[in-house]
Amino acid sequence: MAVLSACGSSQSAGSGGSVVATGAPVPLVVYSAQGYDQAMVTAFQKATGIPTKLVDDSTGPLLARVQAERGNPQWGVLWVDGDEAFAALDQAGMLVKNFEPNVQLNAAGQAVVPKDRSYVPTGLTVTAALVYDASKTPNPPTSWQDLLSPTWKGAVGMNDPAVSGPTYPFVAGMFNQLGGDSQGEAFYSSLKSNGLHVFQTNGDTLHALQTGQIKVALIQSSAGIAAGIKDKNIKTAYLPKVTSLPSVIGIDGKVSAQEQAEAEKFASFVLSPQGQQVMLTGDRNGDSLYWPIVQDVTPDPELPALAAVPTQAIDPYVWGPKEGTVNTWFTNTIVH
Amino acid sequence: MTDTMLTPGPRTAAGADQASPAGPPRPGRLLQPRVAGALRLLPWGLFAAVLLLPVAGFLLVAVSPRLFDQGDAWFTWAPFQQVLSGWTAHALLDSLAVGAGAALLATAVALALAWLTERTTLAGQGLWRLLLWALLLAPSYLESLGWTWLVEPQGVLDRLLGQDPVWLRSVVFGPAGVIWVLATRGVPFAYLAVTALLRGLGREFEDAARTHGGGRLATARVVLPMLAPALWAAFATVFAESISDYGVAATLASQGNFPLLTGAMEQSISTFPADFPLASAMGWLLLALVGLALLAQRRSLRGRSYQVLSGRTRPARRARLGAVRQTAALVGVGGFFLAAAGVPAFGAAAASLLPSGGKVSAASLSLANFRHVLGSGEMMSALGYSARLAAITACAAVVLGAVAGRALARQGGGRAGRLLDLLLLAAIALPSVLLASGYIFTYNLPFASSLGIDLYGTTTLLVLGYLAGALPSAARLLSGPLGQVSDSLLWAARIHGRRPAAAWAGAVLPLVAGSLVWTWLIAFCGTLLELPVSQLLAPPGQEPLSVAITRQLQGYDLGAGAAMTVVVVAGALVLIGLVLGALRLFLPTARRLEALA
Repeated sequence: MAVLSACGSSQSAGSGGSVVATGAPVPLVVYSAQGYDQAMVTAFQKATGIPTKLVDDSTGPLLARVQAERGNPQWGVLWVDGDEAFAALDQAGMLVKNFEPNVQLNAAGQAVVPKDRSYVPTGLTVTAALVYDASKTPNPPTSWQDLLSPTWKGAVGMNDPAVSGPTYPFVAGMFNQLGGDSQGEAFYSSLKSNGLHVFQTNGDTLHALQTGQIKVALIQSSAGIAAGIKDKNIKTAYLPKVTSLPSVIGIDGKVSAQEQAEAEKFASFVLSPQGQQVMLTGDRNGDSLYWPIVQDVTPDPELPALAAVPTQAIDPYVWGPKEGTVNTWFTNTIVH
Repeated sequence: MTDTMLTPGPRTAAGADQASPAGPPRPGRLLQPRVAGALRLLPWGLFAAVLLLPVAGFLLVAVSPRLFDQGDAWFTWAPFQQVLSGWTAHALLDSLAVGAGAALLATAVALALAWLTERTTLAGQGLWRLLLWALLLAPSYLESLGWTWLVEPQGVLDRLLGQDPVWLRSVVFGPAGVIWVLATRGVPFAYLAVTALLRGLGREFEDAARTHGGGRLATARVVLPMLAPALWAAFATVFAESISDYGVAATLASQGNFPLLTGAMEQSISTFPADFPLASAMGWLLLALVGLALLAQRRSLRGRSYQVLSGRTRPARRARLGAVRQTAALVGVGGFFLAAAGVPAFGAAAASLLPSGGKVSAASLSLANFRHVLGSGEMMSALGYSARLAAITACAAVVLGAVAGRALARQGGGRAGRLLDLLLLAAIALPSVLLASGYIFTYNLPFASSLGIDLYGTTTLLVLGYLAGALPSAARLLSGPLGQVSDSLLWAARIHGRRPAAAWAGAVLPLVAGSLVWTWLIAFCGTLLELPVSQLLAPPGQEPLSVAITRQLQGYDLGAGAAMTVVVVAGALVLIGLVLGALRLFLPTARRLEALA
């Protein structure tokens, strides 16, 4: 309950955009793609008494729903992986700005907070982790350029960024670290010439790895680590550099003052010690395998120290607006 | 065409008055035309709410994105130009070819199957019917998954034969595999359409051909054209279902790099930023394809009457199959079901019994996934919620489907009938996810909210969305049987003194009860596992079954997701058995019709 009072105080302690709830509670509608969201909503409702309704689905359908509802939004909180979409929503004026929960973030967390405080990062995974079966592939590649060599011809698989939400940051991250669009396009075109396999989602790419269709899978870190927990031969490595992929909460810009206050309370609760405990335990074989961004919260022991992972953060306000163009290029050139 | 159903038309009313010995009409009867008129309009209002507004809403996005906050232009053709270039144009042609191939194959298989089960002494009739139901219930992704498990590298065939079945994989992950899976999914629909007509077709036509010296071929040439309405209905339905299927487009077609239009549509919505105008333009093109099929159907049937079921209809005789023919027929039918239903059954069984990771062996098979699923309260609450909604949807689909089916079967049809026909096919041709988007655009307009119409985010709108999916099949399935029943049956009952409701229940209901029950079951089972509409329209705080299953499948828990699917399909099969059993118990006349041989 000490946590709760901390949460409550965060309302008045929050910067400019935060609102103090005064009226009777209204149902807070949470659209979320996180594996631990049901546990979080239950804990939040129990702790605050605010009636909370969850729409739990994959990132793609949720973002489609949010965009279709654009003229008359019905959601209060949107919670999915990847800050690029949130940057684009912010630029379209769809998010509440200037709200920041009153918590101490670590350096990795501070690096992914937007300048206008239009969304709230809640944890980190990275993309793309290199996932392989150590019993079949004892010497995995050690650099991105290795993947273009004859040794790995026809042996590499990844997801389609137009279908799998967490894959666009990987593609954008490669464009970013290689120096720009033309260099990035050249890299993926070479990868295609070397027999790249493109699957729909993490599950499909992992299945191809387990059946031997590919030797290395380029997927989100949490999916690779989860596969490694079930099958000890599956290992996850990080080529320099991988792109950080924050899980993010955004608050609907058209929401009522009462619901905005409740949504801010929800975001603060997620980053509170009690909320972090729910995130770390709510989905042990999936989304709970993340690096916390709150000071002094430690990740699941299955994860290596984040400092040992060669990570880059890309600017979502540069890469977010390019998502449509890059995905269209990828679909037209690499997939078909 | 009959005017015997729920809303008596003017002709029936006039006929009743002429036949009535009761003298001057009672005062209550004066209200009857007005009430009847209102009753007649009610279903059309519902058709507009369920089909017209959402379809129109979705299609408008292509030409006027700004109207729905989806772009800057009030009027534009740009999305169409975009679709007709690059790989999406290729996908359009692929969809056309795949749809036509699947529809032809499904209609041919269904005709053979219907003839064998209805007109011969083929053994194992009950088993074949059960397998057709199983085929109807298995989601298309499950059949695709079964094939994938079978032919992939390190898959079952690879391990059994010790050799990678490269050639079979190239066939399955390509046009042939896609057409086969879509055709097998379409066979039950085509079969139901054909058998409904075949049962009503008495033996007098065959007798006439035989009496005049016609052989088997000549008899077939006499009888087949009489089945034209059913065959065209089967073709058009399977064509529309096939070009709008997403499960196969997302699995076999995408793995074989064989792009289909539904895959492209889904992609333009599920990616960020979603491009609804582009998806809508693709929707227009899918509708144009369906329009072509409809035009062909209409031109072929124009100016002919297909009323064959009347009071003078004599039961058909089953041809006795000798040992050789019986064996050949059993091999053919058994082979079809093995490839069509056996493969998805294998896929589901393998996926639900195997552990999710690690080496695969006989020892690794376990029921852990089933124990996990059955012990989870979450799954049971999702099942209960979806079952309730599916039952409501199925009841509504039968009532409205009967009204729509009658309108479709009416000669000429009138302008309203033609519009309804087009709408129903539009609802089939537009993938559910697009239809659901149309529901959001239409029922979530700020203007609707200001009028106090806050349907979006409620269970009511979810049911309406389900109904849009179930209604087209219901109307098509019922148009055949209802179009077949001659008015003379009802008039005979009325002349013998029965009141309208009793006359209908006694003379018409037994003839159509089987079709009504089958239609209810199809709508129920189809809704129970419906995914795209559930995803976009589920009210906050409620989780439909399909969303729960998909969450398991995508949360790297393939086993639990597959186990849930197996439990639901098995449960639905039990329900079908119970309902058909009840039909036989409580409406034995309908049973006699079913056993019309």
